[in-house]
Amino acid sequence: MSENIIELKKLTKRYGYGDTESFALKDFDLTIKRGEFIMIMGPSGCGKTTLLNIIGLLDRATSGEYSLNGENVANISSRRKARLRAKKIGFIFQNFNLIQDLSVLENVALPLVYINQPRTVRLKNASDALDRFHLQEKEYYLPHQLSGGQQQRAAIARAIVSDPEIILADEPTGNLDSRASVAVMEELKSIHEEGNTIIMVTHNPSLTVYATRVINMLDGQIDTDIKTVSDQNLPQKIEVKRGKKRKRKTSNRRKK
Amino acid sequence: MASLFRTHFRLACTSIKENRTRSFLTCLGIAIGIASIILILSLTGSISNLIDKEVSDVGSDLIVVRPSTTKDSVTTIIEELTSSNSFEKSNLALSDVDSIAEIEDVKAVAPIAVAHGTISNEDNVVASAVILGTTPDFVTIEPIALRYGSFLTDKNKDNTVVIGHMLSLLLFNTSSPVGRTLKFHDKTFMVIGVIEEMTDTINFDNVDFNNALIMDAKLLEDLMGSLQVQQINVKAANTDSLSTVSETITTTLTSSKMGDTNFTVVYGDDITHPASAMLNIISGMLAIVAGISLVVGGIGVMNIMLVSVAERTHEIGIRKAVGASFGNILSQFMFEALILSIMGGFLGIILGYILAFLVSIITPFTPYISWQILVTTLCTTIVVGIIFGIYPALKAANKNPIESLKHYR
Repeated sequence: MSENIIELKKLTKRYGYGDTESFALKDFDLTIKRGEFIMIMGPSGCGKTTLLNIIGLLDRATSGEYSLNGENVANISSRRKARLRAKKIGFIFQNFNLIQDLSVLENVALPLVYINQPRTVRLKNASDALDRFHLQEKEYYLPHQLSGGQQQRAAIARAIVSDPEIILADEPTGNLDSRASVAVMEELKSIHEEGNTIIMVTHNPSLTVYATRVINMLDGQIDTDIKTVSDQNLPQKIEVKRGKKRKRKTSNRRKK
Repeated sequence: MASLFRTHFRLACTSIKENRTRSFLTCLGIAIGIASIILILSLTGSISNLIDKEVSDVGSDLIVVRPSTTKDSVTTIIEELTSSNSFEKSNLALSDVDSIAEIEDVKAVAPIAVAHGTISNEDNVVASAVILGTTPDFVTIEPIALRYGSFLTDKNKDNTVVIGHMLSLLLFNTSSPVGRTLKFHDKTFMVIGVIEEMTDTINFDNVDFNNALIMDAKLLEDLMGSLQVQQINVKAANTDSLSTVSETITTTLTSSKMGDTNFTVVYGDDITHPASAMLNIISGMLAIVAGISLVVGGIGVMNIMLVSVAERTHEIGIRKAVGASFGNILSQFMFEALILSIMGGFLGIILGYILAFLVSIITPFTPYISWQILVTTLCTTIVVGIIFGIYPALKAANKNPIESLKHYR
């Protein structure tokens, strides 16, 4: 069994007023359970990215209700929203969005800066995350010195470094060739198998094989919603498991 | 929290280092403003030191009687400046000197009465020279060093004078004219002493002793017809009796002047008060000018910060997306502005003291360094950094993350 991590009720996002009025989302209802891997598809301008931004607390709905972990988001301060973004939500973008002036390691450590972790801990955790995505030897490279696939893997490392519960990916494979896409999707799959909730926007129908649920959107509303894995079979997030894994990693290093 | 501060500090340093030239020029703007403030504070500090030294040289047992009430407000000082001849209004007279001399615990009394007149001898004529009328007591009150000869005494004061170093050169073309004669108001005087050349011309008597001729005040009054007493210097028998003596002087003079209280009796630090007040006004004016250049420097900081914010819009978007709050972004950019202005402040302190040192080569004003000046300027730079950094930082912190993420450099 899995509890509801995200609940959206009659969510509406309106742009413009009067004649220029348009709706990115219109009375949008959606409930997401912990451990789901959701793919959101649909034509351009149907409100996919707006939905991700609202779920990611970057944007605010015009009306409707959004509960994150049972807490109504409308009532929380922007300061706490920022902390939630740092702790609970990981973003992955189509264009990677790494800070070009910072090394890969510092980029990955960025979310930890905002949850007040000491520098040594930040760099250690970031290094571990990079190690997982086979980028540890590129730690001190600048983002532009990496290939697109490597940059996206670094961005994924950044998204998971603070151990979030929700990963939001906006066309993570949009700028990558098919080989790099597969690598990125495999990484996302393994993150999902650890019990993380992933919400991913994509245009590529062939990627839906990774998903447990595929949502087709049209004009700010859900067109079709297909679950390929029953709620009972969703992976469970177990904190101990991750802790053990990390411990094992350090002990491995010690052995070396 | 401390870790976050350190992170912001490191970030700001990196960003400043990346734009070396730009940051240096911005700092220079602040530095010039701070340097001029340092220069002004250093000059006024050294001048007020000179004044204080003058009083401490004279000794702590000095009481000064001045005409009119204490000038402490700006308007009275400006009135003083604009009226053509301030001591014409003086209501002190030589008779007051005698009445003060009779007071108990008064050791010596000397009036300072300045007139202007033409002095001549066989060779030279000096027009409108400074003539200081006083009494032989003068030399016991003030530490006037004589280069040659001796000061006036009660026995010879009717036909002798003491002259300043410069006046001696002008009249006699020599610095040792003791025994020679000069003419003033058709009366012949013998020079019995020459005052040692004074390097600092600031003193609480407001007399330029280098160019002065010193003679007996009563004689000067007879020759000139009338004489205004600028000031009466009184030496008390001991330091403890200063307040009682000054009170007695006040009551004595008030009664002898039929209730006219238009005079001031001061001692200690108050003696330099008019000069200090004047100095404060001038340095205040200069500080305003320096402040303007600091504002210009601050605008430079703001300008550069705005450019920096615009350039890093995308970065701000990323930071917000991964969890930076309003306060995080605000402090990141505030730190950058503060570091720029504080660096400019330090540069300005160094620059200011180099300038102060250069000024001290051609003037008697030695560079005056005190922790107060350093703290003041440092606080000023911090305030400037905050004032001119807050707007760009707010602009950065208020950026919409979604819009910012779409923004590319």
